[in-house]
Amino acid sequence: MSQWDARGLPPAAQARVERAQHGGVRTSLLSASAAAAIAELGLEPVGEVMGCVVEHIGWGGMGCGMYGAWGGVQYGYAQTQTSGGGGGYGGYAPYVNALYYGYEHALHRLLLETQALGGDGALGIGWTQQRLDEAGNREFVAIGTAVRARSTARPAHLFATDLDGPDVAKLLHGGWVPAGLVIGISVGVRHDDYYTRMQARPWSNTNTEVSGYTELVTHTRADAREQFAARAARIGGDAAIVSNMTLHISEVEPSDGHRDHVATSTVTGTSVARFHRDAAAPTDTLTVMPLRTLSSRSLPSRSRP
Amino acid sequence: MTTADPRELGLPEDAMRRLAEMRPGQATSLFTSDLSVNEFLLVREAGFRPLGLVLGSSIYHVGFQMGRWNKNQELTTLTQAMYHARELAMTRMEAEADVLGADGVVGVRLDIEFKEFGNDLAEFVAVGTAVAADAPPPTGSGWRNNTGKPFTSDLSGQDFWTLVQAGYAPLGMVMGSCVYHIAHQRFWQAMGNIGQNTEIPQFTEALYDARELAMSRMQAEAEQLQAEGIVGVQLLSLPHKWGGHTTEFFAIGTAVRALRDDHVIDRPQLVLPLTDR
Repeated sequence: MSQWDARGLPPAAQARVERAQHGGVRTSLLSASAAAAIAELGLEPVGEVMGCVVEHIGWGGMGCGMYGAWGGVQYGYAQTQTSGGGGGYGGYAPYVNALYYGYEHALHRLLLETQALGGDGALGIGWTQQRLDEAGNREFVAIGTAVRARSTARPAHLFATDLDGPDVAKLLHGGWVPAGLVIGISVGVRHDDYYTRMQARPWSNTNTEVSGYTELVTHTRADAREQFAARAARIGGDAAIVSNMTLHISEVEPSDGHRDHVATSTVTGTSVARFHRDAAAPTDTLTVMPLRTLSSRSLPSRSRP
Repeated sequence: MTTADPRELGLPEDAMRRLAEMRPGQATSLFTSDLSVNEFLLVREAGFRPLGLVLGSSIYHVGFQMGRWNKNQELTTLTQAMYHARELAMTRMEAEADVLGADGVVGVRLDIEFKEFGNDLAEFVAVGTAVAADAPPPTGSGWRNNTGKPFTSDLSGQDFWTLVQAGYAPLGMVMGSCVYHIAHQRFWQAMGNIGQNTEIPQFTEALYDARELAMSRMQAEAEQLQAEGIVGVQLLSLPHKWGGHTTEFFAIGTAVRALRDDHVIDRPQLVLPLTDR
């Protein structure tokens, strides 16, 4: 068996695409209602598509940038270093770039399959990453359904979205088309300075904001949101619909008596472009009363930021 | 072309043409939003333009306080902490909306997460989408409330659309909190109840008191906004991590005012959905 050079599609994926081109059977990950919804709007599923990358992330970042002769700033104010901040001695920029590479390359391979199947884009994309082992190997996967529009025009770049069939149908109906799937990632690190340690000390009966941690999560989230918006704008959309926002914060102890906190924030969503020509979107919402029992109050299910 | 077949409208054709015109890297005035697709479309239809996602956060050290073992009492330190930290998160979110020149913030979620690190550390987050109205309201000086801040609402897109259709405007999210310690029973009392099905009046009374405190505080906030009423109220018991006998009773809703005198909406059509959900 010859070794694949990591360019284009892996041999197995290539073979699957060729099989799909010859056979008549179309696969898709769509539910029945999703398939009906997009067919009504003129999108046909052409196949289930996937992209996958296994990446070795060997270097996790430098820490808070407070080492050396100063002894880690025992009594001054520490500052948050975000991966998107540029410069600085600490920071996790190389680590974040590795994550971007993984996500975006998995998506790129998914779109290569989409293109080979004659699709105009892919929808309902699940975009995930997981650690394979403790040695720093991670797998990034994008999986979705390729669709082709009943249209004479073809997009300049294939579209991609994590929205499912009914949502895409609603958007198209309202005069918006999904353009691309976007992720913004940021990792911030901040040294636990004297003030932070005092504010967060256990068993104290005072109510107080821990300003250092608040600064860390605020700056990290702001950086992830900025990166997300910049990447969505680069695709050329008019709006971006955030589908998921996560923040994880943990404690690291790079050396004895020196404690930092590291926050990781991701923002995922779809960049959408407007195609209706009037000032107002074409809508015809009806007041309807569904004949079913509601199990609970019908709040939209969204994740925690 | 009111009810034309979408295929005749050439929707996919127009959509694909738009994507074909798209040049990556060209300058656009992009906004981000945390709304679901339903909300995104309905908020626009209700006459509001999304301006961007807004967020406020605070990591807070909640002071330590113990209730007396056998006493029903409010734990005021904890109540104050819950109030203050939520206030910090909400104010920061409103400040972001103010910078964007928003008339209001819709789809607000207010969350609390106690952190694994540290003791008694919790993150309070408020997140929503800032919107600007296409037109001033039919009555009143503007969409903002009487404190001059953008209105806030935690209603879903569907509820928000219906509210505006029915001639009401949101003024702000109002909340009431009360952290309450429910007394443990005395030994002989507990012994007396063994093997019996009986009400424990002491517990019932405590739960009444605590809920009443939370709800009246929420009502007081709505009165300050000169609201006509509060919609979408949720009354939650949040155990957080203070053990079985200490609970936060939390009431939250959206205060509204009337935009016009009649509040009639189109008679709803009955539909039978083809999906389970």
